[in-house]
Amino acid sequence: MQSASGASMKIGMLTWEYPPRIVGGIARHCHDLAIALALLGHEVHIFTLDFPSAPAFEETEEGVKIYRVASELGHPNFLTWVLLFNHFIEKRMAEVSQRIEFDVLHVHDWLTAPAGVASKYLIGKPMILTMHSTEHGRSGIHNPDSHTIDGIEWWANYEASKVIATSGSMKSEVCDHFRLPWEKVDIIPNAIDSSKYHGSVDHGAVRARYGIQPHEKLVLSVGRLVPQKGIEYLIQAVPNVAWRYPEAKFVIVGEGWYRDHLHHVAGTSGQAWRINFTGFIPDHELIALTISADVLVVPSIYEPFGIVALEGMAAGVPVVASQVGGLAEIIEHDKTGVLVYPRNPDSIAWGINHVLSNPDHARWLAQNARTTLQKAYSWKVIAKKTIKLYKEVAR
Amino acid sequence: MNSSSGDLPSHPVIPEEFRLLCMLHNIGATTMEKSMGIEEVAQWTEVDIEVLRHHLQKLRDLGYVEFVEVGGTEKYHVTPIGITKVMTLYS
Repeated sequence: MQSASGASMKIGMLTWEYPPRIVGGIARHCHDLAIALALLGHEVHIFTLDFPSAPAFEETEEGVKIYRVASELGHPNFLTWVLLFNHFIEKRMAEVSQRIEFDVLHVHDWLTAPAGVASKYLIGKPMILTMHSTEHGRSGIHNPDSHTIDGIEWWANYEASKVIATSGSMKSEVCDHFRLPWEKVDIIPNAIDSSKYHGSVDHGAVRARYGIQPHEKLVLSVGRLVPQKGIEYLIQAVPNVAWRYPEAKFVIVGEGWYRDHLHHVAGTSGQAWRINFTGFIPDHELIALTISADVLVVPSIYEPFGIVALEGMAAGVPVVASQVGGLAEIIEHDKTGVLVYPRNPDSIAWGINHVLSNPDHARWLAQNARTTLQKAYSWKVIAKKTIKLYKEVAR
Repeated sequence: MNSSSGDLPSHPVIPEEFRLLCMLHNIGATTMEKSMGIEEVAQWTEVDIEVLRHHLQKLRDLGYVEFVEVGGTEKYHVTPIGITKVMTLYS
C-alpha cells in the first residue's frame, strides 16, 4: 500500500473556505499546506464550497485538485444550511472516491466535519481533524446554536483518528474541553510562505494610499472585526500613543459584524480621524501595506495560533501582540516581538510606544523574528510533519 | 496564561441587517442568476417586506447586496464581499 511504503499519498482535504473564498486564516492555511504537500510529491484533492466566478473544478500548476461544491438547497437557518452544504460535499466526495483511492481525509474545523465523518465511513479511511479554534473559545457557549456547534466539534474530535492543534495552548484547550486523551492531539503549527514578502515595495506610495505622510508613523492591525480580536482595546490605546506620538496613524484592515461597534468606540475616543478602517483589501495590497508599516499590533483576547503575527514577522515589521494562546508561543518577549497584556489599552500603548521609541531595537526585533520564522514556520517543515502524521494513521 | 475567552460578551448584538444578510446568503441568493424577489425573500425569512426593503437598501449601500431588475421586478443577491462578511460570523 502506497501510504505504508513511504511513497506518495492521496489526500482528501475538506474545508469551507479556500481561495478565493477567504475570510480568516483557514483558507490561507489550507491553500499553502496543499501546495506544500503537492510539492513533496503527494496528491491533494480539496473539497470546498463554491464562490462567485471561481471554477467548479480546477487543477493548480502544483497539481492540487480543487472541487468547489454548490449547495443546491438553501435554508435561512445557518446550521441547517451547513448540514445541507455538507451533504453536497459528501455527494462530490462519493463521486470522486469512485476514481481516487484516498489514503487519508483531513478536515479543517467543524464546518465540514459532517461530510468528513460520513466520507470516513464511506471510503473506510482514517480522518484527521485540525482544530483551528473552538466555539467555546471563539464566543462561549451562549445559545442553542453555539451548543450545537460545540457538540459537532466534540463529535468530530471523537471520530478523528488524530487531532492537530496549531499551538500548545490549543492542544490544552481541546484536551480539556473535549476530554481528549493527551496523546490523541499533535501540535503542528501554522506556517507562512515568506517569499511573498520579499518583493520590493514603494513604501511612500503604499502609505500615501492610506493617507499616511512620510513623517507619520503607521500602526497597522489586521483581523476579522469580531470581539475575540480585541480591536476595541487597540482603539482605546490610541489616545495614549497619540499623546507621545502625535504623528501616529492607525490602519485597521478587516471586516466583520462588530464593525459598527468599533466605529462607535473610535468615535468616543476623540481620535477617530487617526483611524482608518479599510475593510477587506486584496492579498497583494495587504502584503505591501504590512511591509510599509512601522508596527503591527495583534491585540487579540483569544488566538489559538495567530498567523497574522507570522505575516508581520515575514514582512520585517516589529510585532506587538497580546500574551494569549499561540501568540505567546510564537513571540519571545522583547526578542522576536513585544508581548502585552490582553484587554489592556495601557499595556498595548506601552508596547507600541516601546517599538516606536527605539527604531534600532525595533529593527533588531524584526531581524530576530525573521530568523525564528525560517527555522520553525516554513510550509516545507510543516508539510513534512503533517505527512508523518498521515502515515501514522494510515498504517 | 489563560487563552479562554469565557468572559467575551456572552450575547453579542448582531445588527438586524447583518442577520438578514446571513439569511439571504443561506437561502442561496449568492449570484445574479440566483437573485430573489422581495416576496420570495420575505417568505423565506418571515421578515416584513417594508423592514426588508429598509435593510436591503442599507446592505446595498454597504456593498454587500446587489439589486438586479428582471422582468420589471427587483431581485436581490449577496455580493462576493457580502459572502465574506457573512463568513466572518462563523469562521
